[in-house]
Amino acid sequence: MESSLVFDLTMMMAKILVILAGTLGVVPIMVWFERRGAAWMQRRVGPNRVGPFGLLQPLADVIKFIFKETFIPKEANKFYYLMAPIIALIAPLCALAVIPFGSKAIINGQEVILQVAQMDTGVIFILAFAGLEVYPVILAGWASRNKYSVLGALRGSSQIVSYEISMGIALLSMLVVYGSFNPHDMVAWQQGSLGFLPRWGAFVNPIGALIFWISIFAETNRLPFDLAEGESEIVAGYHLEYGGMKFAAFFMAEYVAMIMASGLLATLFFGGYGLPPGMSELVNIISAHFGFGAAGMQNTKAAFEFISFATKIAVFMFLFVWIRWTLPRFRFDQLMDLGWKILFPLSIINLVVVTLGVYYFNS
Amino acid sequence: MSLPIIILCLISAILAVTMLFAKSPITSALCLLGVLIMTAGVYGLIGEHMIATIQLVVYAGAIMVLFIFSIMLLNLSNSENDFKQKPKIFIFGLAIGLSVFAFIANSILTHFQNHSSDRQLGIFTPQVVSDLGGNSKVLSHALFSQFYVSFEVISLALLVAVVGAVVLAKRKID
Repeated sequence: MESSLVFDLTMMMAKILVILAGTLGVVPIMVWFERRGAAWMQRRVGPNRVGPFGLLQPLADVIKFIFKETFIPKEANKFYYLMAPIIALIAPLCALAVIPFGSKAIINGQEVILQVAQMDTGVIFILAFAGLEVYPVILAGWASRNKYSVLGALRGSSQIVSYEISMGIALLSMLVVYGSFNPHDMVAWQQGSLGFLPRWGAFVNPIGALIFWISIFAETNRLPFDLAEGESEIVAGYHLEYGGMKFAAFFMAEYVAMIMASGLLATLFFGGYGLPPGMSELVNIISAHFGFGAAGMQNTKAAFEFISFATKIAVFMFLFVWIRWTLPRFRFDQLMDLGWKILFPLSIINLVVVTLGVYYFNS
Repeated sequence: MSLPIIILCLISAILAVTMLFAKSPITSALCLLGVLIMTAGVYGLIGEHMIATIQLVVYAGAIMVLFIFSIMLLNLSNSENDFKQKPKIFIFGLAIGLSVFAFIANSILTHFQNHSSDRQLGIFTPQVVSDLGGNSKVLSHALFSQFYVSFEVISLALLVAVVGAVVLAKRKID
């Protein structure tokens, strides 16, 4: 069957819809889980009034956000003040375009690669949009004309810029291992096994995985790296002057960035959408049971791959919440020491070691 | 040229003019950021994803952050008067700018897709590049084989610049 424009457009729209609905739909669940999880870890009850187990609490929050007065401080620079939350939400959503959520499906006899944008730069594209995540912090802090906001913005942007370096070098060490920018190649590389372990990036290059994992906490401004917000010190940091849906946009952006970072971490270090050992036999059994053809088998495989990827993201999201309610916030000098004196040299040494290892094993 | 490219070019041109005539330094910096992102968009639309991504990573993600960060740190918004143009210098600068622009535009219009010109085309046509496995592969291969000496020399120059900056900043603090 020939590839037609209508088919391509429909598939592209469908993929974008899956990504948007998936991420923005997970946000309310995460907000609920964050509050219930916090209560659970601190032996409190948490929100339990709206709906069963307080599940409708995010909905009540959204209604409240929408009906709040749109308030703009008199001294604020209106244009930049309103622009900041928009950029905050757009940047991580754009980065999600390159993260594959499955290998390929066969629809109507045609192969559909389950990734929105297939580019030869792949993972570097994500770095480009992760780099743009500094701007909303700077802009919001600067445009609000508030001392605490400016302090939060300065802290936040210096933190993000500092940790971006070790994150980039950790990523580089994995690129040396995979020899490709393409996330599909990375997932294919991680399909093998190392003895009893799957050949995941995290087992090949554990120090790189650790550095990358720590850095994404700093990049997404999550505790213990939430100096940009630091409620006990600078009220709410860069989004202090924001209320209603404008604040909700920042709030959503934080969770979208977390999902994006978890997806990247899963793809780079934890096998991405690759099936865990034993799952491919399950796919074969199911296909044989229902009598699927080659196309049906591929689609079943794609569905399982999507579930595998979503499970990995869910695990990392849980870790984000768990760590938030376990570790206290760093002091600013401790944060900079960790970033520049520990993670940065460690990531360079790790890069050299990994490069030598790759050279040794390839020759 | 397709319609999206024309739209991006128009937005980029408007932002560039705004950058020149804006009163506050932060508006200028943000307009420059907009121009860089729009240019990256144009690169992406003509299929040069590698250059578009590098443009975003290096210029939008690193250099402009530094600009805006230093503008915020120094709080330059008080010195808006320094940015008033003096008519004589402005006209002189405009004349130079226009002549350079005319020269570049002329040279692009003569040589763009005009293979009869005396300039020799490189071997890397789009077909060859895609056969060799994409832009990023070809570029990195050229960088680390044919041009590795110049690549290392440039990294050495950057190292010198970093050491120099640290020395200068340290002297001020001590």
